[in-house]
Amino acid sequence: MRHLSERALDAATAAGASYADCRVINRTVQRLSVKNGVVASVELYEDEGIGIRVIAGGSWGFAGVDELRAGSIEETARHAVDIAKASSRVNRTPVRLAPAPPLIGEYTTPFIRDPFAVSLDDKVGLLLRTDEAMSHLPQIRVRECSLEFVREQRHFASTEGALLDQTIIESGGGLDATATSDDEVQTRSFPNSFGRHQVCAGWEAVEAFDLPGNAERVAEEAVALLTAAQCPAGTMTVILDATQAALQVHESCGHPTELDRVLGHEAAYAGTSFLTPDLLGSFRYGSEHVTMTADSTRAPGLGTFGWDDEGVAAQRTVLVDQGIFTGYLSSRETAAAIGQVSNGAMRADGWSRLPIIRMTNINLEPGTSSLEEMIATTEHGVYLETNRSWSIDDRRLNFQFGTQNGWEIIDGKRTRLVRNPIYSGQTPEFWGSCDAVAGPAEWVMYGVVNCGKGQPPQSMHVGHGAAPCRFRNVRVEPSR
Amino acid sequence: MSGNEELLGIGDGALASLERGEAEVVITDSRSELTRFAGNEIHQSVGERFRHIRVRLIDGGRTGVGEVRGHGDGAVALAFAAAEASRRVTAESDVSPLPGPPASGGDETVAYSAATDAATPQDRAELVSIITEAAGTHHLQAYGALSTTTTTTAVVNSAGVRRSATSTQASLVAVVRGHDGAGYASRHSADIDALDVPGLAAEVVDTCERDQGATPIGPGEYEVVLSPYAVTDLLEHLGWVGFSALAVQEHRSFMHLGQKLMSEKITICDDATTNGIFPFPFDDEGVSTQRVTMIDRGVCAAVVYDTPTAVHDGVVSTGHSLPQPNTWGPLPRHVAMEAGDTPWQEMVGSVSRGLYITRFWYVRDVHPLRTVITGMTREGTFLIENGSITRPVKDLRFTQSIVEALADVIQVSSERRLELGEGESGVLSPWLRIGRFSFTS
Repeated sequence: MRHLSERALDAATAAGASYADCRVINRTVQRLSVKNGVVASVELYEDEGIGIRVIAGGSWGFAGVDELRAGSIEETARHAVDIAKASSRVNRTPVRLAPAPPLIGEYTTPFIRDPFAVSLDDKVGLLLRTDEAMSHLPQIRVRECSLEFVREQRHFASTEGALLDQTIIESGGGLDATATSDDEVQTRSFPNSFGRHQVCAGWEAVEAFDLPGNAERVAEEAVALLTAAQCPAGTMTVILDATQAALQVHESCGHPTELDRVLGHEAAYAGTSFLTPDLLGSFRYGSEHVTMTADSTRAPGLGTFGWDDEGVAAQRTVLVDQGIFTGYLSSRETAAAIGQVSNGAMRADGWSRLPIIRMTNINLEPGTSSLEEMIATTEHGVYLETNRSWSIDDRRLNFQFGTQNGWEIIDGKRTRLVRNPIYSGQTPEFWGSCDAVAGPAEWVMYGVVNCGKGQPPQSMHVGHGAAPCRFRNVRVEPSR
Repeated sequence: MSGNEELLGIGDGALASLERGEAEVVITDSRSELTRFAGNEIHQSVGERFRHIRVRLIDGGRTGVGEVRGHGDGAVALAFAAAEASRRVTAESDVSPLPGPPASGGDETVAYSAATDAATPQDRAELVSIITEAAGTHHLQAYGALSTTTTTTAVVNSAGVRRSATSTQASLVAVVRGHDGAGYASRHSADIDALDVPGLAAEVVDTCERDQGATPIGPGEYEVVLSPYAVTDLLEHLGWVGFSALAVQEHRSFMHLGQKLMSEKITICDDATTNGIFPFPFDDEGVSTQRVTMIDRGVCAAVVYDTPTAVHDGVVSTGHSLPQPNTWGPLPRHVAMEAGDTPWQEMVGSVSRGLYITRFWYVRDVHPLRTVITGMTREGTFLIENGSITRPVKDLRFTQSIVEALADVIQVSSERRLELGEGESGVLSPWLRIGRFSFTS
């Protein structure tokens, strides 16, 4: 790939770029799904192309093309420079980048068994066994299970001398069981909702999920929800399972610490942030039990890599330290705006999209409690499992989440199953009410595969390590 | 950018090499460019160009799919090889048949503009500067994006389908922010020259200036006037959760045909055949897209079909397929609500106390069967008192059943606007005056 990147950088420089970088990407995806006993799809996807980013006349330009021929690459590089020059006619402030050493190296996702070396027959067989295990309950109207495997080879080069090659491997899978009655529809999912759970690892990760072994239980839970009591309403204690805690971290810490949002780059679309720079180092974001990190070195998260998409090395940044807001996710351009250097959060959705600030692995660090202890010391509340709906305002303050099910807790005991729970609050008050986080034994790295941001839209795979955690005085109610 | 005939030729060549079974080849050439601005400057401007090839093979009761982007002249062969590898491992089952060619020529209206196709980065920068200068003149900051896209799609299959079309889309969205408030406006068209950029600039600056100094207002049920930006979210979510034949077949749709669920003022159709909503003549199976009225004067009238759901119900596909096979089912992507007879500017005058909502944000399904959604208001929420907008109010969270809201519609505006939903499908929306809308925090 190096000969291709040299062509791109030389052409951009010759056209007038003061800086250029490029990413040559080859991506292979396998997606398999079974629905109601039938192999619904086996899709094999191959994608390759080059994305070229330049600064010319003090402005950014970016162009991507799927033709990896010298002529096309050079034409695309010149087009990126043309785009930058067009922007420079409107702009008054030239782009300024924080310094970053030009690095040279190679990185490959650690894995035990290459998922692409496992036969498609074995993968289909696993899904059919999973489906069959859900098939014995007549109330289950829709049974779905799926697998996804990704291999992405990334070559990055810049006019500053960076030369980086990475191979990222992802493996994921999941199941959904949907039960229906005359007046109700309820879905339960495993290991996570919205299709699947995914990590940067090999086939061993999917085997560890044990989809067939969990399928019947999950289907039974969906049926039980049809006749479960509605979730109680009121202000009460809430305990989140690790999957819901992961999404809470995603929406209320991951997004508001993206420095491009803070600087207004996403104001017209994804929004801004309540975590303004004047709050850095002093604002109480949560209780002393709350420490959150951005850690792209932590396997097997979907935000684990060697270098980000502008060549900055993977690293760990503390975003919230025992409740105090301490850090942002940044890029070379945004870090320079607040007098810092990048902490490596620039990521792109493939070769055709411009790198923007994205989450890596945003983690709620483990505490010292346990789910059992949290329930035992709760007088009245609900234990909520697996996300069903999520919504938060454009500054990431006012949120409302729904989960697939809940368990009412009375006098330290998990009692009855309840359906349609939703809870809501304001971000700092909510995390400020956190009085317990489970320890490392219950801490799991989950994957979110549908994080949307940017124009044109980009979908990113990000990781979230989390454990069950408890919050006091939360507004809870059933969805109507 | 390749022409229609070139893509059809590639598809024909691919089918000619088919030795047994059936095949469908979908080829898409796309060129899209987008200029993004923030703080009255262009901070991101991008372009991308690619060809995507999707092959569906059916043989021996098994279906396989291969997709390729890039890989030059070897792309078709690579896609066929992937599809065959896929096909070999799928189980024998009742596969959905490939559709045949349309009985007649049908409506071939396509949203296309040579001006959009030829737009340059300089053209986009000049249009953007109209907005940034308008904002700057009022000491405000503009943010947004202007995109232009040209797409050529060809669908050929071994049952005789041979369709192709080239479409364009130009889309401009803008947020203007002041010290303590913001406004929003957007315009969308096949033709970049038809975008009313000065009109958008005036609208968004006006909304922003009126939004300054918003004060809180308590949650509760309010009478509302929803702008087309907000109505678009309601219509798009109805399409996702209920207008699909598969959702009905799986008992997860609110649609009960023949039942009156909404106000008789409400008629909702999907219409890809007119110039109003980015017309396009066929779906992802190459089937001609029919006009379907889903809600007729408040009554559930019909749902949209693809080939698999049509076979299941013994009817004909309405041409609303996504790429096959899939587990999501058919989808309306050109939704329109029929206009009413009230000029929108008269709606506020009839409200004694209520809210004018410019825009919703982060709308998500809470209970799909009951069409309950939640979301926030954003960039222009105003209190209406005694027939006049009196002051801006802080953003509110709503949690509301769409069907119940549309059952309580008092007025539908005589004007409509073409919008893009969050899923980027075209929606033709009026203003709506609704009796009660539930705000929860």
